[in-house]
Amino acid sequence: MADLITRPESRPDTPAVLDTIVPREDTVAERLLTTQSPQRPQSTPAIRMEVDGRIVEGLEGQTILEVCRDNGIEIPTLCYEPKLPGFGACRMCVVEVEGEEHPPISCSRAAEDGMKVQTQTEELRRLRRTNLELIFSDHNAYCLPPCQNKCPSHIDIPGFLKQNAEGNWRESTRVFKRTIPFPSVLGRVCPAPCEDHCRRDEVDEAIAIRDSHRYAGDQVLKQMLDEGIDPPVPFDMQPKTGRRAAVIGSGPAGMAAAYYLLIAGHDVTVFERDPAPGGMLRYGIPQYRLPKVEVLEAEYESVTRLGGKLVCNQGLGRDFTLDDLQFQGFDAVVIAIGCYDTNTLGVPGEDAAEVLDGLEYLRTATLGLPYPDHAGKRVIVIGGGFTSMDCSRTSVRQGAKEVTLVYRRDMKDMPAAGEVHEAIEEGVTAIFQAGPTRVLTDEAGNVTGVEFIRMALGEPDASGRRRPEPAPGTEFVIPCDRVLLAIGQGPDLTWIGPGSTGPTATRNKRLQADAVTFETARGGVFATGDVRIGAATVVQAIAEGRRAAYAADAYLRGHDLSEIKTRQTLAEPQPEFLSIVPFTSEVKEPRYRMKALEAEDRNASYVEYELPYSAAEAVAESTRCLQCTCEAIGFCDLRRLGIEYGTTLQTLEPQHHQGAGYRSVTENRFTGVNHDYIRDDSHAFILREPSRCIDCGRCANVCAEVVGAACYDFMRIGFDTLVTTPLDMSLNDTPCVSCGRCAETCPTGALMPKPRVLQKYEVDESRCILCGICVDACPYDALRDGGEFELAHTSREEPMIDLMALASIDRETEVTYIRRERDWLQRAVEEGRFVDRAKLLPMLPASVSPANGNGSGNALMTGGHGHDHGGAGGTHVHSK
Amino acid sequence: MTDVTMLPTPKSWPAILLPRRDTPDPADLEVAMAAGAFSGLRLAMRDLGGTGTTAAIGASGLRGRGGAGFAAADKWRAASATPAGSRVVVANGYGADPSSATDRVLMERNPYGLIEGLAIAAFAIGANEAIIAVRAAATETIRILEAAVGAAQDAGFVGLDAFGPGRHLDMSVRTVQGAYLLGEETILLKALEGKRGQPEQRPPHPATRGLRGLPTVVHNVQTLAAIPWIVVNGSDAFAKIGAAECPGTILVQVRGPEASGVAEVPLGTSLRDVAALAGAPTGARKLKAVLVGGPSGGILPPDALDIPYTFAALRAAGAHIGSGSVIVADDRACIVDLARVLTRYCADEACGKTIPCRIGTRRLSEIGDRLAAGTSRAGDLDLLTDLASDIVGSALCDHERLTTLPLVSGMRYFRAELDEHLERSSCPAGVCHPIAMTASATH
Repeated sequence: MADLITRPESRPDTPAVLDTIVPREDTVAERLLTTQSPQRPQSTPAIRMEVDGRIVEGLEGQTILEVCRDNGIEIPTLCYEPKLPGFGACRMCVVEVEGEEHPPISCSRAAEDGMKVQTQTEELRRLRRTNLELIFSDHNAYCLPPCQNKCPSHIDIPGFLKQNAEGNWRESTRVFKRTIPFPSVLGRVCPAPCEDHCRRDEVDEAIAIRDSHRYAGDQVLKQMLDEGIDPPVPFDMQPKTGRRAAVIGSGPAGMAAAYYLLIAGHDVTVFERDPAPGGMLRYGIPQYRLPKVEVLEAEYESVTRLGGKLVCNQGLGRDFTLDDLQFQGFDAVVIAIGCYDTNTLGVPGEDAAEVLDGLEYLRTATLGLPYPDHAGKRVIVIGGGFTSMDCSRTSVRQGAKEVTLVYRRDMKDMPAAGEVHEAIEEGVTAIFQAGPTRVLTDEAGNVTGVEFIRMALGEPDASGRRRPEPAPGTEFVIPCDRVLLAIGQGPDLTWIGPGSTGPTATRNKRLQADAVTFETARGGVFATGDVRIGAATVVQAIAEGRRAAYAADAYLRGHDLSEIKTRQTLAEPQPEFLSIVPFTSEVKEPRYRMKALEAEDRNASYVEYELPYSAAEAVAESTRCLQCTCEAIGFCDLRRLGIEYGTTLQTLEPQHHQGAGYRSVTENRFTGVNHDYIRDDSHAFILREPSRCIDCGRCANVCAEVVGAACYDFMRIGFDTLVTTPLDMSLNDTPCVSCGRCAETCPTGALMPKPRVLQKYEVDESRCILCGICVDACPYDALRDGGEFELAHTSREEPMIDLMALASIDRETEVTYIRRERDWLQRAVEEGRFVDRAKLLPMLPASVSPANGNGSGNALMTGGHGHDHGGAGGTHVHSK
Repeated sequence: MTDVTMLPTPKSWPAILLPRRDTPDPADLEVAMAAGAFSGLRLAMRDLGGTGTTAAIGASGLRGRGGAGFAAADKWRAASATPAGSRVVVANGYGADPSSATDRVLMERNPYGLIEGLAIAAFAIGANEAIIAVRAAATETIRILEAAVGAAQDAGFVGLDAFGPGRHLDMSVRTVQGAYLLGEETILLKALEGKRGQPEQRPPHPATRGLRGLPTVVHNVQTLAAIPWIVVNGSDAFAKIGAAECPGTILVQVRGPEASGVAEVPLGTSLRDVAALAGAPTGARKLKAVLVGGPSGGILPPDALDIPYTFAALRAAGAHIGSGSVIVADDRACIVDLARVLTRYCADEACGKTIPCRIGTRRLSEIGDRLAAGTSRAGDLDLLTDLASDIVGSALCDHERLTTLPLVSGMRYFRAELDEHLERSSCPAGVCHPIAMTASATH
């Protein structure tokens, strides 16, 4: 045999041998020889390489990704699990290495001394964006629900609709009350901005979100009024803190603040200027929209039932000052006095007697009093908000001869556009794009009409609506007897002064307060609601009130408010919508609409004109919800990268997207067939949502390589490949040890710790058979064999436990069981006892000897309780 | 023996891979030895030694026949330079392309050529384990190979003390079964380990870290079968055959209107001559296109047929040697339809590991489907180009890179036919029905 391969001096890599080989252009061999495996243990020699023009140091054997991360250079990854070698499935960590044709992936490529790496070139970002778009084109899952994002109070809308769909009205209300305490009130007066952005609209029609929580809230109110059952409280009541908070104003903002302060354990007193609580809800919204006794007062009871005190006829500045509150021992004050000063037109003649403040007019009407001399009058209502609507429709009900509504912009820009059709049905004449120039009066000072001028629509203003501009020469007069002004309100701040010094007003006459901490210039005094932001919707006011309560709570507990500021800002959902796949499999099912009284019936009546759902309709409507939400928002790497690489939409507002199909779906270039998998919630701790899986393989690798259980792997081939359990079986049937590593490593919401509601466990000892399964199964040794318990064995008729033999074995096996029976049988025969051989187990040969003799002692005892279960099964535990 | 037709080739073409093709029983060791089998192994062990053999293979310029055209000796050097207690040589006889019988023909008609080549490679790199991986469905091949390995073992060419006292060579025939892409070497190794066949990021190449972490040289069976010839006849003789940058011969499966079968072709022969082995289209039919490289091959027009059949030239033209398949299509074929069917096949055969492959290739085939059905969206052709280039850019293995070839080469050479589909809603070959039946046919 000639030279052998093992002879070291003739190894093919020595120069002497290489000289004999014709030099070739191909240097692959050189590369192969010098490449370091990323799995090689890290050694000390340091290497230097250039990343994005920066010289960084790393250790030999590290991958490019490891070197970059050690040096604070972020490279995006989805499939990389730091505990394991690079896998290379997601192709997100591609980097450019100088002198290489295809960009290598940094998680698997060893860093080399002198390497020049680029991590963020245009080309790389394009490759990553394409990958993300491809993932999203088969990501049949949802992210942030647009309804929740658009709600000023960010109600968990999919959450309460899910409970509704199961008919759990109380739980639905509880979910709702986490953000808004008054589902029934809001169910009647909310403009429902959420419904404009419902994704169900892409299938057929938006969900009737408002009507759905109205129904659930009404069921809870009915239970409370009929059966005296307390409404659900959204969170555990906190222990009493002993701190006292005063809330000034019992409108939606004030009462919401009071509600959440009460839950936080503070003592709360609400001061109300008027004889009855409710603020604008009571004095600004007509009875036919919001019944005062059945709904408003009933729902306000949920605050008083928590222990809130209500003091009426006490107005700030009129009856008390801020100093007074301080002297009375209130630790914090929340000012929520709302906006009650109607703006003026600023045109000649508006001080005439018959030019009325719309709010004043409504106030008498909502008190149930007809406004003097309203019947038979020709009335002009100026404005386009909800107040103008209420004024017009109340005027119709009070018998006005003619009601004309005039608004300066066009109909679609009207804040109350949704209600205008109902007003027109009831007989209101609506005129758009006209603004008043003067009020005409006769010699006696009586109003005879209003002169208007036509408005042309100019460029959009800050609100996105087109600015109305007067068109000269288009003046016209509408004759009338009375004018109701509903052109917006500001707060009354005349109380600021002696006794109530400190708080300041802003330039546009609002009360100055921080947008997140709600602190005014006076310590311990917070301002929230309309008084801070100007006249707004009820839902905005409640959102303000809730957030102010959290700020006041932090103040009362002595926390640093600047920390609260950070926390509250982070808690706000960011408007980023993923390009999700289209809803191809949904069955079309139009919206369930609430019926309404006919126009001629409701004109004459203050009865609530909308007829509520039936229970079946309420369930059916909530079932339509697509539940387009994901529990993993905030933890999802895919969402984070989608935002970073611009494959999400920052807004769903149509003006930012071209054409009719502006929704997220059409933005993805690769939309095509996609997978819709079934959720697996059979496992006790891990929730699997395969539709959210991006096939990164992290769970499979971690489960196999770190845990050793290997519950998951890639299954099927081609486009249908999915990382799942064998045969898609339940996780319960795999060797899963419930360690949760898979859920921990999952970059999306495909594997999640299962939300669990059970918090307390109880053992009913009268039913326990001491089987010990709980002890065996408990992964954390929370249950153990103790002195008070021991294993018991069921026999059939006769005692058959050899306790001495039992004492020497750890765990019962079939063999020991049979062996014990044989020993017993032997003794029984020796002692001449009756033995029914038909009932015996098959015998083991005598060679299976007893482990510890077959003593006849009865030494092993139970202590303590001495559970002795007699009865039919004949379980026997010997006791001392 | 197989039922595969051997196409007649010019007498001047050398027979390196199938020197004993007409032997009645190719598994008969005595007949094979009489014709020269195992003389190369003897020569390598006695005269050349391990390094000498490696140098000889390096000097011959032998490139891997598996499709990528990797220089064979480079793998050997990398493997033998990696410190390890043991090394492995794997013969890839999976023959992934179901339409190509080249590897099967080689294994069945020249089993001792393969075994000898495998043994020489194992000797050269210091391996004591050699595996022949065969498709489990090819039962006849397995029977012949097992008989041949058994006979070689009895004769002492493999097995205990094969390379001298105490130096054994375990050679086994292992069956694997799976999807198309099992031909890729890292996938094949995963399959041999009993795992799901999915590619691994290279580097590390199998030559440094392969089967069970050992340095592993994976060669196509044709590469191995050429080795004994090189050892016996010398590197210079081999380097003179075929093209200068990739000498030697290769088995080609040609399918055409007249005939179809396997032929041993010197590399560098013009594509036109290769295609002509199956005869020219008859009558009024005209040659329209040649699909080179199997399902993930490129579609080349008649005027591109003068290029030589080599790795580099085909790559430059948008095709590749791939499975050695050359399919001649006459004017009854629609390029759009052909390309979309091929893309869909490759997309469905993907292992699903990476995003560009699992979803990207599927989206490619959907673009093709839309072209054929007349439901294209605005900008679909640009999207096709962009997506194909991004898949190539961020691909993990060659499967996804090559899957883009049918559509990309189709678009490159047959743009007019694509435009007919796109702009006139007509298919010149009458295969597709590019008329949108309903407005909502997408999704």
